[in-house]
Amino acid sequence: MYTLRTIRAEIRKLTSTKMPFAFLAVLAVIGAATAAAVAFGTDMDGSKTFISTAADQQSLMAFAANALIIAALFGAMAVAREYSHGTVVLTFLTTPRRPQAVFAQLAAVFVAGCMLGLVGAGVSTGSVAAGLTATDYGFMVSFADLAQVLAASTLAGGAGAVLGAGIGALVRNTGGAVTGTIVLLLILPPLAVQAVSEAASWIPNTLANVVSGVDNATGMGEAIAAIGLWALVPAAIGLVAVTRRDVV
Amino acid sequence: MQQLSDQKTRTAPRSYPITIEHVTKSYGGGAAVVDDLSFVVKPGRVTGFLGPNGAGKSTTMKILLGLASPTAGRATIDGMAYGELADPTGTVGASVEADAFHPGRSGRNHLRIVADATDTPLERVDEVLELVELSAAANRRAGAYSLGMKQRLGLATALLCDPPVLVLDEPGNGLDPQGIRTLRNLLRSRAAAGNTVFVSSHLLGEVEQLADDVVVINQGRLVTQGSLDELRQSASLVRAASPEALQVTLEAAGGVVESGQPDTLVVRGLSLDEIGEQAFRAGIALHELSRHNDSLEDRFFAWTGDTAGGTPQSNTKE
Repeated sequence: MYTLRTIRAEIRKLTSTKMPFAFLAVLAVIGAATAAAVAFGTDMDGSKTFISTAADQQSLMAFAANALIIAALFGAMAVAREYSHGTVVLTFLTTPRRPQAVFAQLAAVFVAGCMLGLVGAGVSTGSVAAGLTATDYGFMVSFADLAQVLAASTLAGGAGAVLGAGIGALVRNTGGAVTGTIVLLLILPPLAVQAVSEAASWIPNTLANVVSGVDNATGMGEAIAAIGLWALVPAAIGLVAVTRRDVV
Repeated sequence: MQQLSDQKTRTAPRSYPITIEHVTKSYGGGAAVVDDLSFVVKPGRVTGFLGPNGAGKSTTMKILLGLASPTAGRATIDGMAYGELADPTGTVGASVEADAFHPGRSGRNHLRIVADATDTPLERVDEVLELVELSAAANRRAGAYSLGMKQRLGLATALLCDPPVLVLDEPGNGLDPQGIRTLRNLLRSRAAAGNTVFVSSHLLGEVEQLADDVVVINQGRLVTQGSLDELRQSASLVRAASPEALQVTLEAAGGVVESGQPDTLVVRGLSLDEIGEQAFRAGIALHELSRHNDSLEDRFFAWTGDTAGGTPQSNTKE
């Protein structure tokens, strides 16, 4: 009961500012760009081969990699701003047991991240479908594959938000948390692949595509577990930092 | 804050003394911000926590509220650390940072979040908004609030769960004179009902208006504590025909004498009777002998020796 009401408070925190709407606006822009690309874009040879098969269309709709990054930024900003605005003081006054407070934060951003991922995949799917109406191709993705795309994006969104929240709790500065998230998700993975080519199968982008069903670099179970690790390790580090630090 | 007392003020509360026991706090092995500090804040009194900027007041309050851990010692509420209390927010209402609000969130939503976290009925949000006269601005972004409005929102947050203990850090900052007066009445009514009210300030005039007791710290150490009236009324004012001779006589009798205006002495350590008798024996005519009420500012500089890193302000901020 205590945990539920703390999570409820954290969800109200997330929904009582304009930040979620800003992220939804970003999703809308991405959706519009996707629809335009499908409707008017061509391959190098001027054909529309990139939307000619169900697999091609599923790849376009697969939003999990984007969801992971967008939700990670959301989680990082949501938690880091608690420190920059000082509202974390109230969080720890109402929930003095810090692991419980952090768990509630993580649970709330996980839910929000899942929602962002689901909405993002929905917008992406709708955009592809809308774009296809301006072409000679129909919507070919099966219901099962569509469900996988939506589920993968939902999962990736939740995981990304938890990852970002961990970085936010660790860094405590909004700009720093956003930078840290970008470094961890966009800059370090390619460098890691350069150093160890086998790492390519385990970077977030690849893993997100595996769970979306558009890549088979790893097994599904392994990919889900690896995405979980990507999220939980920063979250655990953030939790330890929050538990040990003073609020100054 | 048009109402002078919270309608839900408890009439027969359980007592919750605050006890600071040998608390020391230092960062990274450096000098202690708080140094072996001990004092007790009694229920039923408004206790002012006074010291210049950087004296360690906020750190002490954060240690009390579990936001910072002491290097040594213990800070308790009714014998328990804040985090050990069965119902922390139902026991202690705190406002330790004036602008600890998300600037894009409305005052009402800020309080609703606290209400959610503490399982407080949402109707109470409107009650405390009315209590601190923020109802009209409740749906505005907190970022657009003036400092005084932020203080009111902080006070509303502290009062939301109607706790028997209030811990407020610089609550008068930014309040207008009417706000100060109503804050004083509110805090006094809470204390009169047996609640514990612990208020920090570096504004001497504010503490003088608010507090029954004071705890004075400087550079992390306790300087003095006690009833404000007793601390202020510890001197006598003497006007005499021969002040120099009287000064010698009174100092010989054990008094501590300060010369003020040409024929005036301020005497500590001797009662009015003792001063009169000493003057009579020395054959010195007295023109005036009365109890001298020092201003808190005078006493503060006497206590701290004016060595504080920051100078306290004698006037309340408008």
